[in-house]
Amino acid sequence: MSEMLVHLVDDDDSARDSLAFMLEAADFVVQSYESAQAFLDGLPIGPRGCVITDVRMPDMTGIELVHRLNALKVGLPVIVITGHGDIPLAIEAMRAGVVDFIEKPFPEERILEALDLARDKLGVEVGETPNSEILEKLETLSEREREVLDGVVAGRPNKIIARDLGISPRTVEIYRAKVMTKMQADNLAALVRMTMAAGLG
Amino acid sequence: MVGLRQSSAVDKGRRLRVLGLTVLALGLAVILSLEGSVFAGQAGYLPFVACVVLASAFDGFLPGAIVTGFGAMAVLLLGGGIDSLSGGLGLVLYLAIGIAIAFWGGSALKARATAAMTQQHLQSILDTVPDAMIVIDRNGIMRSFSTAAERLFGWTAAEMVGLNVSTLMPQPYRGAHNSYLERYARTKERRIIGIGRIIVGLRKNGTTFPMELHVGETGGAVPFFTGFVRDLTERQQVEARLQDLQSELVHVSRLMAVGEMASMLAHELNQPLSAVANLLTGSRRLFERGRPEDGPKITEALQKAAQQALRAGDIIHRMRSFVSRGDGERGLENLSKVVEEAAALGLVGVKERQVEVSFDLAVDANAIFVDKVQIQQVLLNLIRNALEAMQDTLQRRLSITTVRRDDDYVVVSVADTGSGLAEEIREKLFHPFMTTKPQGMGVGLSISRSIVDAHGGRIWAEENPGGGTVFRFTLPPVPTEGANDE
Repeated sequence: MSEMLVHLVDDDDSARDSLAFMLEAADFVVQSYESAQAFLDGLPIGPRGCVITDVRMPDMTGIELVHRLNALKVGLPVIVITGHGDIPLAIEAMRAGVVDFIEKPFPEERILEALDLARDKLGVEVGETPNSEILEKLETLSEREREVLDGVVAGRPNKIIARDLGISPRTVEIYRAKVMTKMQADNLAALVRMTMAAGLG
Repeated sequence: MVGLRQSSAVDKGRRLRVLGLTVLALGLAVILSLEGSVFAGQAGYLPFVACVVLASAFDGFLPGAIVTGFGAMAVLLLGGGIDSLSGGLGLVLYLAIGIAIAFWGGSALKARATAAMTQQHLQSILDTVPDAMIVIDRNGIMRSFSTAAERLFGWTAAEMVGLNVSTLMPQPYRGAHNSYLERYARTKERRIIGIGRIIVGLRKNGTTFPMELHVGETGGAVPFFTGFVRDLTERQQVEARLQDLQSELVHVSRLMAVGEMASMLAHELNQPLSAVANLLTGSRRLFERGRPEDGPKITEALQKAAQQALRAGDIIHRMRSFVSRGDGERGLENLSKVVEEAAALGLVGVKERQVEVSFDLAVDANAIFVDKVQIQQVLLNLIRNALEAMQDTLQRRLSITTVRRDDDYVVVSVADTGSGLAEEIREKLFHPFMTTKPQGMGVGLSISRSIVDAHGGRIWAEENPGGGTVFRFTLPPVPTEGANDE
């Protein structure tokens, strides 16, 4: 089904092995690495692959790995897996060119969706043009909704956004939900991706 | 008998009595001298001597002296002056005897008054002291039962005096008390006299109460024992309440510690949970595909999933036992295990922080008698502090060591290679609300100290020779069986 090789980087044995098992069951070919350095040591690798990396790792974090890959001009699409409370980190990763980020624990569809994105990305050159469809959606947002969107994609928690805007956190939640609906974004990563594509990032 | 406030009225009565006695003596002298027989001449002084005795005995030196003077004048007037040498001698003799009697009478009166005053003073003290006082003889029979004792035990002095003091004790002390007295009489070995101890008292209504008893012994041929009893009910209630508050505080700070670690713990839980999800999803996929060669893979994945679920359970279990209120009871624990469990909790997320952790746990230091959760709280606190201190340093080494000292105390050390502490901060470190952290409350170390203190140990901070800080605390040796006094 898929000819794409998945390079999986995670220091936690159980997390790495279990994800590899799941991806193999979904017919991906998986190559595992127990540290970012081990992966870098294995370079160069074929062009038909993608990278899934954990954020929190000793020695070199997933974010650092993304920066290193950028510096080395390795054009592999990267998917970042985050634990609880790493949203700002994940958004930073998105800005650094990561295709998608996924919060643990995640359903199968979520990782398959991210891999689809990565596959699409393989064919496309870096530096997408703003998507007119996204711009149209952005037009439908009210001023307040735009402000909330800015806060959300900057990785700020609802509480902080509420304080910055002088409204209640509950109101922020409502605006946030409206933004997600209007932008037709299933998750935060998709929202961040859209705003980046629209040149807002 | 004689109160100070009544002195003016007493003075008046005394003057009247002196006058009366003088008139009486005068009358007697006149009557007797008129008879002209027995009391003529020097014998005329005799009625006055009797009056002097009375006056001085009841009213003191001065009235006695005055009566003596009146007597001399009366004899001179009635007897027609001093006509002979013997008459002169008689007068001098009379005056000397009169003054002497007056003096003796006066001092006897004073002594009586003083004794009465002392007695009264003592009585008023005994009536006022909040402690109950009971005097018993060497057979345990109560001889005195103070007002406070009446209030405390509910018996009246009239009911108690003459009964054995064991009436005021519940069993088994009641039965044993006489043997204690007998043993003391025989051996003179003091187990309570001059030492004091806390025992249980029995009220008239049958209720018991904690009391502190101090016993003094009156010397002399027949010894008496005086017991002072203090009711400890209220004090024990206050102490118990204080202890409740203390343990509540300790518990709350434990909750706070876990609260501060919440995101770390969530991360730690996410790890096995996402592994379980991945393993089950993959297994489902393989199962749906239905290839027989996938069978062993599915089995293995399911087994791993079960292991991971248990790992998550372990984390929750550790956390739950740590935040549990605990019964506050001490028991014989294994120090290495206590340290390892606390470290498992405290070192959550340490991998990401790139800290090198080492343990050096002495086997001979393992036996300790502690409240395990509380000691783990101290350890957790020290470990978290150490990790925080090393956040911005290049070298991050945390070492935890245990060792048994020569005096049998166990020393636990938590050393970091962090930024270290300034001398003046190190001194104030264990004070409440002392903190160097922007978000800290400053209660962690002060609670750690009260926990260690309560265990009979000590906690302090030292400079780590290689940079950073070493926190050490001691725990006393496990109490032996015989250490508890009966």
